[in-house]
Amino acid sequence: MSAIEVEVTMNTNPALQEEFGESIAALAGALAAGDDQRFFNELDGLVQRREFALFGELQKLTNDLQGALQRFRIDSRLVDLAEKEVPDARARLDHVLKLTDEAAHKTMDLVEQSGPLAERTSRQAEDIMVLWKKFRARDIDVVAFRDMLARMDAFLESAHADMDKVRGNLAEVVLAQGYQDLSGQIIRGVMKLVGELEVALVELVRLSKTGGQRVRPGNVEETSRGYGPVVPGVNHGPAVSDQEDVDALLSGLGM
Amino acid sequence: MSKDMKFLVVDDFSTMRRIIKNLLNDLGYGNVTEADDGATALPMLQAGNFDFLITDWNMPGMPGLDLLKAVRADARLAKMPVLMLTAEAKREQIIEAAQAGVNGYVIKPFTAVTLKEKIDKILETRANAA
Repeated sequence: MSAIEVEVTMNTNPALQEEFGESIAALAGALAAGDDQRFFNELDGLVQRREFALFGELQKLTNDLQGALQRFRIDSRLVDLAEKEVPDARARLDHVLKLTDEAAHKTMDLVEQSGPLAERTSRQAEDIMVLWKKFRARDIDVVAFRDMLARMDAFLESAHADMDKVRGNLAEVVLAQGYQDLSGQIIRGVMKLVGELEVALVELVRLSKTGGQRVRPGNVEETSRGYGPVVPGVNHGPAVSDQEDVDALLSGLGM
Repeated sequence: MSKDMKFLVVDDFSTMRRIIKNLLNDLGYGNVTEADDGATALPMLQAGNFDFLITDWNMPGMPGLDLLKAVRADARLAKMPVLMLTAEAKREQIIEAAQAGVNGYVIKPFTAVTLKEKIDKILETRANAA
């Protein structure tokens, strides 16, 4: 028994023995027999096997590193989104709310201002019409005729001023609708951010492999609080489409 | 019930409260008070002699459905006519509101005619029941 054979036999690790025992025995055999060719062939085989295992480990390490780097990139983007851009989006949406609120109140102010002016014009015209009809029928005395002329003077003047004011108000109503452009731009920006957030989260879930654990949406609290208006394309379950549907549903319930 | 009935309009959007108030004024109801959610409205209802409650559903603080339930649970307010005026359009929600004792349900966007019809109907039903 050669020295190498003794060493291999004494090796107590059965896995190593199984993996390398035969090759080393062959190696030792070749050395003892002075078969250089076979010795180097066996040695090359051994080295190759060792390298293959090493490369496998290295590949795994590289993949892990790549995953960690990718996760880090997504993590830092998410941190950025969560710390800066989401609060920023909230502020922007808050501004949209303010813009729409202001525009609605401004429009209502202008309409409320215009209503009485239009009403006064209509009332004065009606008053004059009574006298005018008498005049056309040649059934008017001098006093009433003079009254009609005075009323017409006053009417023409006030109608001119009032309708000028109404026209100005209408132009301002149109201008007030400019909020749609501004709020639309802001909402588009926020939609882009939400899209980005979605991509980052989906990617994070994919890397963390927690996609299987889904949180059940909706709870009792949410039902009591309401869902907001029906949005086309967003499904919240069976909903009525108009007041007729509501009435039909309620009358079915005996109301 | 007459035109001097006291209305409480509850909605978190001041524009919507203003629209409803204007419509009520046009219908001849001049006595209209506003609140911006259920939590503000409930003590007002308990303190003031309101005759009619018009409420939105989806509001921060106390939502309209909870306000409706609180009104029905309060012996002094239990019989108050309540009209829900809301964008909530799920069938199960309308059924839930009906079960909680709502007297009328109008979905947004709504028309002046619908609002008038529902108020008239509620008042008519109550007059017949009295």
